[in-house]
Amino acid sequence: MDFRFDIVAEYGAFFLQGTLLTVGLSLIGVLLGTIIGLFISLGKMMKSKWCSLIFTCYINIIRGTPLLVQLLIIHFGIIPLFLHRSNGIAATIVALSINASAYIAETIRAGIQSIHKGQMEAARSLGMTYMQAMRYVILPQAMKRMLPPLGNEFISLIKDSSLASTIAAPELMYWAQAMNAQYYRVWESYLTSAAVYLFLTFTLTQLLSKLERRLNIE
Amino acid sequence: MIKISHLKKNYGKTDILKDINITIKSSEVVVVIGPSGAGKSTFLRCINSLETITEGNICIAGVDLTDKKTNINKMREKVGMVFQDFNLFPHMTVKENVMLAPLRVKNCQVQEAEGKTMVLLQKVGLANKADVYPESLSGGQKQRIAIARALAMEPDVMLFDEPTSALDPEMVGEVLEVMKQLARDGMTMVVVTHEMGFAKEVGSRIVFMDRGSILEENSPQELFNNPCHERTKAFLSKIL
Repeated sequence: MDFRFDIVAEYGAFFLQGTLLTVGLSLIGVLLGTIIGLFISLGKMMKSKWCSLIFTCYINIIRGTPLLVQLLIIHFGIIPLFLHRSNGIAATIVALSINASAYIAETIRAGIQSIHKGQMEAARSLGMTYMQAMRYVILPQAMKRMLPPLGNEFISLIKDSSLASTIAAPELMYWAQAMNAQYYRVWESYLTSAAVYLFLTFTLTQLLSKLERRLNIE
Repeated sequence: MIKISHLKKNYGKTDILKDINITIKSSEVVVVIGPSGAGKSTFLRCINSLETITEGNICIAGVDLTDKKTNINKMREKVGMVFQDFNLFPHMTVKENVMLAPLRVKNCQVQEAEGKTMVLLQKVGLANKADVYPESLSGGQKQRIAIARALAMEPDVMLFDEPTSALDPEMVGEVLEVMKQLARDGMTMVVVTHEMGFAKEVGSRIVFMDRGSILEENSPQELFNNPCHERTKAFLSKIL
Protein backbone atom coordinates (compact mmCIF):
# COMPACT_ATOMS: atom_id res chain seq x y z
CA MET A 1 0.00 0.00 0.00
CA ASP A 2 1.43 3.34 -0.94
CA PHE A 3 0.11 6.33 0.92
CA ARG A 4 0.25 9.53 -1.12
CA PHE A 5 1.04 12.26 1.33
CA ASP A 6 1.20 14.75 -1.52
CA ILE A 7 -2.56 14.71 -2.10
CA VAL A 8 -3.22 14.94 1.64
CA ALA A 9 -1.00 18.01 1.63
CA GLU A 10 -2.83 19.35 -1.39
CA TYR A 11 -6.14 19.06 0.46
CA GLY A 12 -4.59 20.33 3.71
CA ALA A 13 -6.22 23.74 3.55
CA PHE A 14 -9.63 22.20 2.79
CA PHE A 15 -9.29 19.73 5.63
CA LEU A 16 -8.40 22.56 7.97
CA GLN A 17 -11.46 24.57 6.88
CA GLY A 18 -13.61 21.48 7.17
CA THR A 19 -12.28 20.72 10.65
CA LEU A 20 -12.99 24.25 11.81
CA LEU A 21 -16.52 23.99 10.49
CA THR A 22 -16.98 20.60 12.19
CA VAL A 23 -15.81 22.06 15.50
CA GLY A 24 -18.01 25.14 15.00
CA LEU A 25 -21.10 23.11 14.13
CA SER A 26 -20.62 20.82 17.11
CA LEU A 27 -20.02 23.71 19.51
CA ILE A 28 -23.10 25.60 18.37
CA GLY A 29 -25.06 22.34 18.36
CA VAL A 30 -24.15 21.48 21.93
CA LEU A 31 -24.75 25.05 23.11
CA LEU A 32 -28.15 25.48 21.51
CA GLY A 33 -28.95 21.86 22.33
CA THR A 34 -28.24 22.49 26.02
CA ILE A 35 -30.34 25.64 26.13
CA ILE A 36 -33.28 24.04 24.33
CA GLY A 37 -32.76 20.84 26.29
CA LEU A 38 -32.95 22.70 29.60
CA PHE A 39 -36.38 24.09 28.72
CA ILE A 40 -37.57 20.75 27.36
CA SER A 41 -36.52 19.03 30.59
CA LEU A 42 -38.22 21.66 32.76
CA GLY A 43 -41.29 21.32 30.55
CA LYS A 44 -41.31 17.57 30.95
CA MET A 45 -41.15 17.93 34.73
CA MET A 46 -44.19 20.24 34.85
CA LYS A 47 -46.99 19.11 37.12
CA SER A 48 -49.66 19.47 34.45
CA LYS A 49 -49.94 16.13 32.67
CA TRP A 50 -50.92 17.64 29.32
CA CYS A 51 -48.03 20.10 29.23
CA SER A 52 -45.60 17.41 30.23
CA LEU A 53 -46.99 15.15 27.50
CA ILE A 54 -46.10 17.65 24.77
CA PHE A 55 -42.46 17.60 25.81
CA THR A 56 -42.43 13.83 26.21
CA CYS A 57 -43.71 13.57 22.62
CA TYR A 58 -40.99 15.93 21.39
CA ILE A 59 -38.31 13.82 23.05
CA ASN A 60 -39.76 10.55 21.75
CA ILE A 61 -40.09 11.79 18.19
CA ILE A 62 -36.59 13.27 18.03
CA ARG A 63 -34.94 10.29 19.71
CA GLY A 64 -37.00 7.82 17.71
CA THR A 65 -36.04 9.03 14.24
CA PRO A 66 -32.59 8.93 12.60
CA LEU A 67 -30.54 12.11 12.57
CA LEU A 68 -29.97 11.63 8.82
CA VAL A 69 -33.71 11.70 8.17
CA GLN A 70 -34.12 14.80 10.36
CA LEU A 71 -31.25 16.45 8.53
CA LEU A 72 -32.83 15.80 5.11
CA ILE A 73 -36.28 16.97 6.22
CA ILE A 74 -34.86 20.17 7.68
CA HIS A 75 -32.53 20.80 4.74
CA PHE A 76 -34.95 20.16 1.90
CA GLY A 77 -38.21 20.94 3.65
CA ILE A 78 -38.07 23.31 6.57
CA ILE A 79 -35.14 25.64 5.80
CA PRO A 80 -36.36 26.48 2.24
CA LEU A 81 -39.72 27.31 3.80
CA PHE A 82 -38.12 30.12 5.81
CA LEU A 83 -35.08 31.16 3.73
CA HIS A 84 -36.61 30.40 0.29
CA ARG A 85 -33.50 28.42 -0.60
CA SER A 86 -31.58 25.59 1.02
CA ASN A 87 -28.57 26.24 3.19
CA GLY A 88 -26.48 23.28 4.30
CA ILE A 89 -24.84 24.96 7.29
CA ALA A 90 -28.06 26.42 8.66
CA ALA A 91 -29.82 23.07 8.23
CA THR A 92 -27.00 21.26 10.04
CA ILE A 93 -27.06 23.70 12.96
CA VAL A 94 -30.82 23.36 13.33
CA ALA A 95 -30.81 19.57 12.99
CA LEU A 96 -27.89 19.01 15.36
CA SER A 97 -29.32 21.39 18.01
CA ILE A 98 -32.76 19.84 17.92
CA ASN A 99 -31.39 16.31 17.91
CA ALA A 100 -28.98 17.02 20.77
CA SER A 101 -31.67 18.86 22.77
CA ALA A 102 -33.79 15.72 23.10
CA TYR A 103 -30.91 13.68 24.51
CA ILE A 104 -29.61 16.53 26.65
CA ALA A 105 -33.12 17.16 28.04
CA GLU A 106 -33.16 13.65 29.48
CA THR A 107 -29.62 14.06 30.83
CA ILE A 108 -30.61 17.30 32.55
CA ARG A 109 -33.81 15.80 33.93
CA ALA A 110 -31.89 12.87 35.39
CA GLY A 111 -29.38 15.31 36.89
CA ILE A 112 -32.05 17.51 38.44
CA GLN A 113 -34.06 14.61 39.80
CA SER A 114 -30.98 13.09 41.38
CA ILE A 115 -30.78 16.09 43.72
CA HIS A 116 -32.57 15.40 47.01
CA LYS A 117 -35.99 17.07 47.08
CA GLY A 118 -35.19 18.66 50.44
CA GLN A 119 -32.90 21.05 48.59
CA MET A 120 -35.77 22.44 46.56
CA GLU A 121 -37.99 22.61 49.65
CA ALA A 122 -35.35 24.45 51.67
CA ALA A 123 -34.86 26.96 48.86
CA ARG A 124 -38.59 27.49 48.40
CA SER A 125 -39.16 27.80 52.15
CA LEU A 126 -36.80 30.79 52.09
CA GLY A 127 -39.10 32.55 49.64
CA MET A 128 -37.24 31.78 46.42
CA THR A 129 -39.25 31.23 43.27
CA TYR A 130 -39.00 27.90 41.43
CA MET A 131 -36.66 29.46 38.88
CA GLN A 132 -34.41 31.02 41.52
CA ALA A 133 -34.22 27.71 43.38
CA MET A 134 -33.29 25.96 40.12
CA ARG A 135 -30.69 28.54 39.20
CA TYR A 136 -28.91 28.98 42.54
CA VAL A 137 -29.49 25.68 44.34
CA ILE A 138 -30.45 22.76 42.08
CA LEU A 139 -28.64 23.31 38.77
CA PRO A 140 -25.19 24.08 40.25
CA GLN A 141 -25.36 20.75 42.08
CA ALA A 142 -26.90 18.86 39.17
CA MET A 143 -24.28 20.26 36.78
CA LYS A 144 -21.52 18.23 38.44
CA ARG A 145 -23.46 15.02 37.93
CA MET A 146 -24.51 15.93 34.38
CA LEU A 147 -21.02 16.61 33.15
CA PRO A 148 -19.99 13.05 32.17
CA PRO A 149 -23.16 12.31 30.14
CA LEU A 150 -23.04 15.79 28.61
CA GLY A 151 -19.48 15.04 27.54
CA ASN A 152 -20.70 11.86 25.87
CA GLU A 153 -23.30 13.88 24.06
CA PHE A 154 -20.73 16.35 22.82
CA ILE A 155 -18.51 13.56 21.52
CA SER A 156 -21.43 11.96 19.69
CA LEU A 157 -22.29 15.33 18.23
CA ILE A 158 -18.82 15.81 16.76
CA LYS A 159 -19.06 12.43 15.06
CA ASP A 160 -22.67 12.86 13.99
CA SER A 161 -21.89 16.17 12.34
CA SER A 162 -20.20 14.13 9.60
CA LEU A 163 -23.71 13.38 8.30
CA ALA A 164 -23.85 16.99 7.15
CA SER A 165 -21.63 15.97 4.23
CA THR A 166 -24.73 14.40 2.66
CA ILE A 167 -26.30 17.83 2.31
CA ALA A 168 -23.08 19.42 1.10
CA ALA A 169 -22.22 21.39 4.21
CA PRO A 170 -18.45 21.75 3.66
CA GLU A 171 -17.30 20.19 6.93
CA LEU A 172 -14.54 17.66 7.42
CA MET A 173 -16.28 14.62 5.93
CA TYR A 174 -17.41 16.62 2.90
CA TRP A 175 -13.79 17.34 1.96
CA ALA A 176 -12.75 13.74 2.55
CA GLN A 177 -15.39 12.63 0.07
CA ALA A 178 -14.40 15.35 -2.39
CA MET A 179 -10.83 14.12 -2.24
CA ASN A 180 -11.93 10.55 -2.73
CA ALA A 181 -14.01 11.57 -5.71
CA GLN A 182 -11.15 13.42 -7.35
CA TYR A 183 -8.37 10.85 -6.88
CA TYR A 184 -10.24 7.59 -6.17
CA ARG A 185 -8.01 7.22 -3.11
CA VAL A 186 -9.69 5.57 -0.15
CA TRP A 187 -7.00 5.51 2.54
CA GLU A 188 -5.76 9.05 2.08
CA SER A 189 -9.18 10.64 2.31
CA TYR A 190 -10.93 8.50 4.93
CA LEU A 191 -7.96 7.67 7.16
CA THR A 192 -7.06 11.35 7.33
CA SER A 193 -10.58 12.36 8.28
CA ALA A 194 -10.75 9.51 10.81
CA ALA A 195 -7.51 10.73 12.38
CA VAL A 196 -8.83 14.27 12.66
CA TYR A 197 -12.09 13.09 14.29
CA LEU A 198 -10.10 10.97 16.70
CA PHE A 199 -7.89 13.94 17.53
CA LEU A 200 -10.95 16.12 18.20
CA THR A 201 -12.77 13.62 20.39
CA PHE A 202 -9.61 12.65 22.26
CA THR A 203 -8.78 16.29 23.03
CA LEU A 204 -12.32 16.85 24.22
CA THR A 205 -12.19 13.78 26.46
CA GLN A 206 -9.02 15.09 28.07
CA LEU A 207 -10.53 18.55 28.60
CA LEU A 208 -13.66 17.07 30.15
CA SER A 209 -11.82 14.86 32.60
CA LYS A 210 -9.74 17.85 33.65
CA LEU A 211 -12.89 19.88 34.21
CA GLU A 212 -14.45 17.02 36.18
CA ARG A 213 -11.43 16.76 38.43
CA ARG A 214 -11.49 20.47 39.08
CA LEU A 215 -15.22 20.41 39.98
CA ASN A 216 -14.60 17.53 42.35
CA ILE A 217 -11.90 19.41 44.19
CA GLU A 218 -14.06 22.49 44.68
CA MET B 1 -50.69 35.42 63.95
CA ILE B 2 -51.70 32.08 62.45
CA LYS B 3 -55.31 31.00 62.19
CA ILE B 4 -56.05 27.56 60.80
CA SER B 5 -59.63 26.50 60.29
CA HIS B 6 -61.03 23.20 59.04
CA LEU B 7 -57.72 22.19 57.49
CA LYS B 8 -57.98 18.89 55.63
CA LYS B 9 -55.36 17.07 53.61
CA ASN B 10 -55.52 13.75 51.84
CA TYR B 11 -53.29 11.79 49.52
CA GLY B 12 -55.64 9.97 47.20
CA LYS B 13 -58.07 8.26 49.54
CA THR B 14 -55.90 8.40 52.65
CA ASP B 15 -56.80 11.21 55.04
CA ILE B 16 -53.64 12.66 56.53
CA LEU B 17 -55.23 15.63 58.28
CA LYS B 18 -58.89 15.69 59.33
CA ASP B 19 -60.36 19.02 60.29
CA ILE B 20 -57.55 20.81 62.10
CA ASN B 21 -58.50 24.05 63.91
CA ILE B 22 -55.95 26.08 65.81
CA THR B 23 -55.03 29.69 66.44
CA ILE B 24 -51.46 30.62 67.25
CA LYS B 25 -50.74 34.00 68.82
CA SER B 26 -47.69 36.15 68.40
CA SER B 27 -44.66 35.06 70.52
CA GLU B 28 -46.33 31.79 71.36
CA VAL B 29 -44.30 28.57 71.27
CA VAL B 30 -46.59 25.75 70.21
CA VAL B 31 -45.10 22.28 70.53
CA VAL B 32 -46.75 19.53 68.53
CA ILE B 33 -46.29 15.99 69.84
CA GLY B 34 -47.77 12.64 68.93
CA PRO B 35 -46.94 9.21 67.51
CA SER B 36 -45.36 8.91 64.07
CA GLY B 37 -47.89 8.92 61.27
CA ALA B 38 -50.09 11.32 63.21
CA GLY B 39 -49.70 13.99 60.52
CA LYS B 40 -47.53 16.35 62.58
CA SER B 41 -45.03 17.02 59.81
CA THR B 42 -47.72 17.34 57.16
CA PHE B 43 -49.50 19.85 59.38
CA LEU B 44 -46.32 21.91 59.67
CA ARG B 45 -45.60 21.70 55.95
CA CYS B 46 -49.09 22.93 55.15
CA ILE B 47 -48.41 26.12 57.10
CA ASN B 48 -45.88 27.27 54.52
CA SER B 49 -47.50 25.60 51.54
CA LEU B 50 -44.90 22.89 50.99
CA GLU B 51 -47.99 20.68 50.87
CA THR B 52 -51.08 21.76 49.00
CA ILE B 53 -54.07 21.58 51.27
CA THR B 54 -57.23 19.78 50.25
CA GLU B 55 -59.76 21.84 52.17
CA GLY B 56 -59.91 24.60 54.75
CA ASN B 57 -58.12 27.87 55.40
CA ILE B 58 -54.78 29.00 56.73
CA CYS B 59 -54.33 32.69 57.52
CA ILE B 60 -50.93 34.06 58.43
CA ALA B 61 -50.86 37.66 59.68
CA GLY B 62 -54.24 38.17 58.06
CA VAL B 63 -53.21 36.80 54.66
CA ASP B 64 -55.15 33.80 53.41
CA LEU B 65 -52.86 31.13 51.92
CA THR B 66 -55.67 29.42 50.08
CA ASP B 67 -56.54 32.60 48.20
CA LYS B 68 -55.28 32.18 44.63
CA LYS B 69 -54.17 35.82 44.58
CA THR B 70 -51.81 35.34 47.53
CA ASN B 71 -48.15 35.40 46.55
CA ILE B 72 -46.87 32.24 48.22
CA ASN B 73 -43.22 33.28 47.82
CA LYS B 74 -43.83 36.57 49.65
CA MET B 75 -45.61 34.70 52.41
CA ARG B 76 -42.79 32.17 52.75
CA GLU B 77 -40.30 34.99 53.36
CA LYS B 78 -42.20 35.58 56.62
CA VAL B 79 -42.29 31.91 57.64
CA GLY B 80 -38.93 30.28 58.32
CA MET B 81 -38.60 26.52 58.27
CA VAL B 82 -36.06 24.17 59.80
CA PHE B 83 -36.00 20.59 58.52
CA GLN B 84 -35.15 17.30 60.16
CA ASP B 85 -32.29 16.61 57.76
CA PHE B 86 -30.97 20.21 57.64
CA ASN B 87 -31.04 20.59 53.84
CA LEU B 88 -28.08 22.94 53.78
CA PHE B 89 -26.83 23.72 50.28
CA PRO B 90 -23.68 21.59 49.98
CA HIS B 91 -22.14 23.59 47.13
CA MET B 92 -21.99 26.79 49.18
CA THR B 93 -20.02 27.81 52.23
CA VAL B 94 -21.84 28.39 55.50
CA LYS B 95 -21.85 32.14 54.91
CA GLU B 96 -23.17 31.75 51.36
CA ASN B 97 -25.91 29.45 52.64
CA VAL B 98 -27.14 32.10 55.05
CA MET B 99 -26.72 35.00 52.61
CA LEU B 100 -28.33 33.42 49.55
CA ALA B 101 -31.96 34.27 50.25
CA PRO B 102 -31.39 37.83 51.54
CA LEU B 103 -29.32 38.55 48.41
CA ARG B 104 -31.59 36.93 45.85
CA VAL B 105 -35.03 37.30 47.36
CA LYS B 106 -34.73 40.56 49.30
CA ASN B 107 -32.10 42.06 46.98
CA CYS B 108 -29.96 43.16 49.92
CA GLN B 109 -26.54 44.70 49.32
CA VAL B 110 -23.68 42.23 49.76
CA GLN B 111 -22.11 44.17 52.63
CA GLU B 112 -25.36 44.50 54.50
CA ALA B 113 -26.18 40.80 54.04
CA GLU B 114 -22.67 39.84 55.11
CA GLY B 115 -22.94 41.91 58.28
CA LYS B 116 -26.27 40.37 59.22
CA THR B 117 -24.97 36.90 58.45
CA MET B 118 -22.05 37.31 60.83
CA VAL B 119 -24.39 38.53 63.57
CA LEU B 120 -26.61 35.47 63.06
CA LEU B 121 -23.65 33.09 63.00
CA GLN B 122 -22.47 34.65 66.26
CA LYS B 123 -25.92 34.11 67.70
CA VAL B 124 -25.82 30.37 66.93
CA GLY B 125 -22.20 30.25 68.08
CA LEU B 126 -20.63 29.37 64.74
CA ALA B 127 -19.03 32.59 63.52
CA ASN B 128 -15.72 30.74 63.15
CA LYS B 129 -17.28 28.38 60.59
CA ALA B 130 -18.38 31.09 58.13
CA ASP B 131 -16.09 30.01 55.31
CA VAL B 132 -16.25 26.24 55.54
CA TYR B 133 -18.51 23.94 53.53
CA PRO B 134 -21.38 22.15 55.31
CA GLU B 135 -19.86 18.67 54.81
CA SER B 136 -17.15 19.44 57.37
CA LEU B 137 -19.71 20.27 60.08
CA SER B 138 -21.26 17.99 62.68
CA GLY B 139 -25.03 17.40 62.65
CA GLY B 140 -25.65 19.82 65.49
CA GLN B 141 -23.61 22.52 63.79
CA LYS B 142 -25.46 21.94 60.51
CA GLN B 143 -28.80 22.38 62.21
CA ARG B 144 -27.68 25.58 63.92
CA ILE B 145 -26.61 26.93 60.52
CA ALA B 146 -29.98 25.92 59.10
CA ILE B 147 -31.66 27.92 61.87
CA ALA B 148 -29.44 30.92 61.08
CA ARG B 149 -30.29 30.58 57.40
CA ALA B 150 -34.02 30.67 58.14
CA LEU B 151 -33.57 33.63 60.51
CA ALA B 152 -31.71 35.58 57.83
CA MET B 153 -35.02 36.32 56.15
CA GLU B 154 -36.24 37.88 59.41
CA PRO B 155 -39.37 35.74 59.58
CA ASP B 156 -42.34 36.39 61.85
CA VAL B 157 -42.84 32.68 62.49
CA MET B 158 -40.40 29.78 62.67
CA LEU B 159 -41.47 26.21 61.93
CA PHE B 160 -39.33 23.34 63.23
CA ASP B 161 -39.90 19.88 61.78
CA GLU B 162 -38.27 17.44 64.22
CA PRO B 163 -35.08 19.51 64.29
CA THR B 164 -33.19 17.15 66.58
CA SER B 165 -34.37 13.74 65.33
CA ALA B 166 -31.45 13.22 62.95
CA LEU B 167 -28.82 14.17 65.52
CA ASP B 168 -26.48 12.17 67.70
CA PRO B 169 -27.73 12.43 71.31
CA GLU B 170 -24.83 14.59 72.49
CA MET B 171 -25.62 17.21 69.84
CA VAL B 172 -29.29 17.64 70.67
CA GLY B 173 -28.55 20.05 73.51
CA GLU B 174 -26.74 22.68 71.46
CA VAL B 175 -29.62 22.91 68.96
CA LEU B 176 -32.27 23.09 71.68
CA GLU B 177 -30.25 25.81 73.41
CA VAL B 178 -30.43 27.97 70.24
CA MET B 179 -34.17 27.32 70.01
CA LYS B 180 -34.68 28.26 73.67
CA GLN B 181 -32.83 31.51 73.11
CA LEU B 182 -35.06 32.18 70.12
CA ALA B 183 -38.18 31.57 72.23
CA ARG B 184 -36.88 33.93 74.91
CA ASP B 185 -36.40 36.57 72.21
CA GLY B 186 -40.14 36.37 71.57
CA MET B 187 -40.17 34.47 68.26
CA THR B 188 -43.44 32.81 67.35
CA MET B 189 -42.60 29.13 66.96
CA VAL B 190 -44.33 25.92 65.95
CA VAL B 191 -42.19 22.94 66.87
CA VAL B 192 -42.78 19.30 66.02
CA THR B 193 -40.54 17.29 68.31
CA HIS B 194 -40.07 14.23 70.48
CA GLU B 195 -38.01 16.19 73.03
CA MET B 196 -40.49 16.26 75.91
CA GLY B 197 -38.04 18.11 78.16
CA PHE B 198 -37.93 20.95 75.67
CA ALA B 199 -41.71 20.89 75.31
CA LYS B 200 -42.20 21.22 79.06
CA GLU B 201 -39.63 23.92 79.52
CA VAL B 202 -40.22 26.16 76.52
CA GLY B 203 -43.67 25.36 75.19
CA SER B 204 -46.41 27.84 75.94
CA ARG B 205 -48.88 25.30 74.67
CA ILE B 206 -48.65 21.61 73.84
CA VAL B 207 -50.72 20.09 71.05
CA PHE B 208 -51.21 16.33 70.94
CA MET B 209 -51.99 14.94 67.50
CA ASP B 210 -53.01 11.43 66.52
CA ARG B 211 -54.29 10.01 63.24
CA GLY B 212 -54.70 13.36 61.59
CA SER B 213 -56.55 15.15 64.36
CA ILE B 214 -55.69 17.37 67.28
CA LEU B 215 -56.91 15.35 70.26
CA GLU B 216 -55.86 17.65 73.02
CA GLU B 217 -54.16 20.96 73.57
CA ASN B 218 -53.19 22.56 76.84
CA SER B 219 -50.45 24.17 78.85
CA PRO B 220 -47.42 21.88 79.41
CA GLN B 221 -48.21 21.37 83.11
CA GLU B 222 -51.80 20.36 82.44
CA LEU B 223 -51.14 18.20 79.43
CA PHE B 224 -48.20 16.29 80.88
CA ASN B 225 -49.60 15.93 84.40
CA ASN B 226 -53.33 15.58 83.73
CA PRO B 227 -53.87 14.35 80.20
CA CYS B 228 -57.59 13.95 79.70
CA HIS B 229 -57.63 11.83 76.55
CA GLU B 230 -56.94 8.07 76.66
CA ARG B 231 -54.63 8.23 73.62
CA THR B 232 -52.63 11.03 75.20
CA LYS B 233 -52.23 9.03 78.41
CA ALA B 234 -51.10 5.96 76.49
CA PHE B 235 -48.64 7.97 74.41
CA LEU B 236 -47.15 9.81 77.37
CA SER B 237 -46.83 6.65 79.47
CA LYS B 238 -44.75 5.07 76.71
CA ILE B 239 -42.29 7.90 76.31
CA LEU B 240 -41.95 9.48 79.74
